[in-house]
Amino acid sequence: MNVHATTHDELAAEMGDRFDTDAMAQESTLLNPRFYTTDFDELDRIDVTPVRAEWDKLIGQMKADPNKGHFKKTADWDKVDWDNMEPGLKRELIDFLVSSCTAEFSGCVLYKEMKRRGKNPDICELFNYMARDEARHAGFINDALREAGVAVNLGFLTKAKKYTYFRPKFIYYATYLSEKIGYARYITIYRHLEAHPEQRFHPIFKWFKEWCNDEFSHGEAFALLMRTDPKLTNGFVNKLWIRFFLTAVFATMYVRDHARPAFHKALGVDIDWYDQEVFRKTGEIAKQVFPMELDIDHPAWMPTLKKIESAFRDMEAGERKGGMVGKLTKWAAMTRAGMGFARLYLIPVRKNTPPASVRLEPAY
Amino acid sequence: MSLFSRKVEKVPCTVEVSHRFEALHAHVKFNDGSVIHPGDEVLVQGPPVLAAWGELIVEDRIATITRANALERFWTRLTGDFEFMELCEFSFSEEMSV
Repeated sequence: MNVHATTHDELAAEMGDRFDTDAMAQESTLLNPRFYTTDFDELDRIDVTPVRAEWDKLIGQMKADPNKGHFKKTADWDKVDWDNMEPGLKRELIDFLVSSCTAEFSGCVLYKEMKRRGKNPDICELFNYMARDEARHAGFINDALREAGVAVNLGFLTKAKKYTYFRPKFIYYATYLSEKIGYARYITIYRHLEAHPEQRFHPIFKWFKEWCNDEFSHGEAFALLMRTDPKLTNGFVNKLWIRFFLTAVFATMYVRDHARPAFHKALGVDIDWYDQEVFRKTGEIAKQVFPMELDIDHPAWMPTLKKIESAFRDMEAGERKGGMVGKLTKWAAMTRAGMGFARLYLIPVRKNTPPASVRLEPAY
Repeated sequence: MSLFSRKVEKVPCTVEVSHRFEALHAHVKFNDGSVIHPGDEVLVQGPPVLAAWGELIVEDRIATITRANALERFWTRLTGDFEFMELCEFSFSEEMSV
């Protein structure tokens, strides 16, 4: 998503003396989020009456904004020695921060659009708070990037943007999963670093606990939304889609985490262990609303993930090589990745009946 | 709406860009109530809105909306759902090599 489209010189010329000098950027990253539309009438038709009591409680919590004071730099924010950081680690840490920032930012854009276009007051209120949290998270990560000498460029608005389309129920599945998996990822790293503080190579990890509680409660809101209408998570086709989303999100995460070996090594985290741990937590949480759980202990699960990951490496290699040979390598690898994904998708799932009461509290 | 040709509209809009510690966001609001549909393209006219660190810019601008034709709208409805992955923190960024 992040494209180094604007050079530092262009930026400096455009911004002149307004350019920030206390953290002079050596490079700039143009945030380039997608813009979304959906079926806003369908969204407005949601009626939270069946979950009203739980809904009001959750919205009350969001309104009280317990994390308001959390995203501030305190004495706990240690100085990061960017200059002496091993270049591979530095590159991966920045990539991590940029993609986190992009994700928060995209969430903010999506939620804000829902809030603006919606007419249902319950839905508008929810999306308003969630957009607030995402913008706050993005601002916090952005500050960490500034310290690293990376300037985030928000000039994308004056570039042509196509609006893509999300069906409302896909917004629920995808955002629910992205919030819950975000929670599982952050809390797993946080707990690991609690036990191994010497491996905390950047202070941002200290903020992960309260941070992931925001992610958790956003996920709760989507769980409640899905509970307003049983049809959303039932029926043959919806079940296939939910299974697809789970598989796609897990497989993508596996491939992406393996693209950051230095980052995980510095954390002292074995990527396979970490990912399985995150899948387990996410799967367990998602039982609150999804009618199935992926069988991540199936004998074919891990070997297939490894195959997909190696196919992605070959795709990259083919891309870099270019020419006819490169293209053929890439296509062959894409086929392997596709077949791997199909294999993963076909691993039998464990059926689940979501509990009567949907709400959960962060427990990890 | 035509099957193949695209209609272009110019509408007043307000852009809000926050590049502050407490919030990083950028939004466009169409002041005449124009509504965007799947596949439409939006371009805010004028120089880039570049908020320096600590700045919040709220500016009135003109936006060009290029309406998608029927085919594009159909296609976006069909395929847009697959772009959800960027909401995840581990989504693919273009420059990172696997």
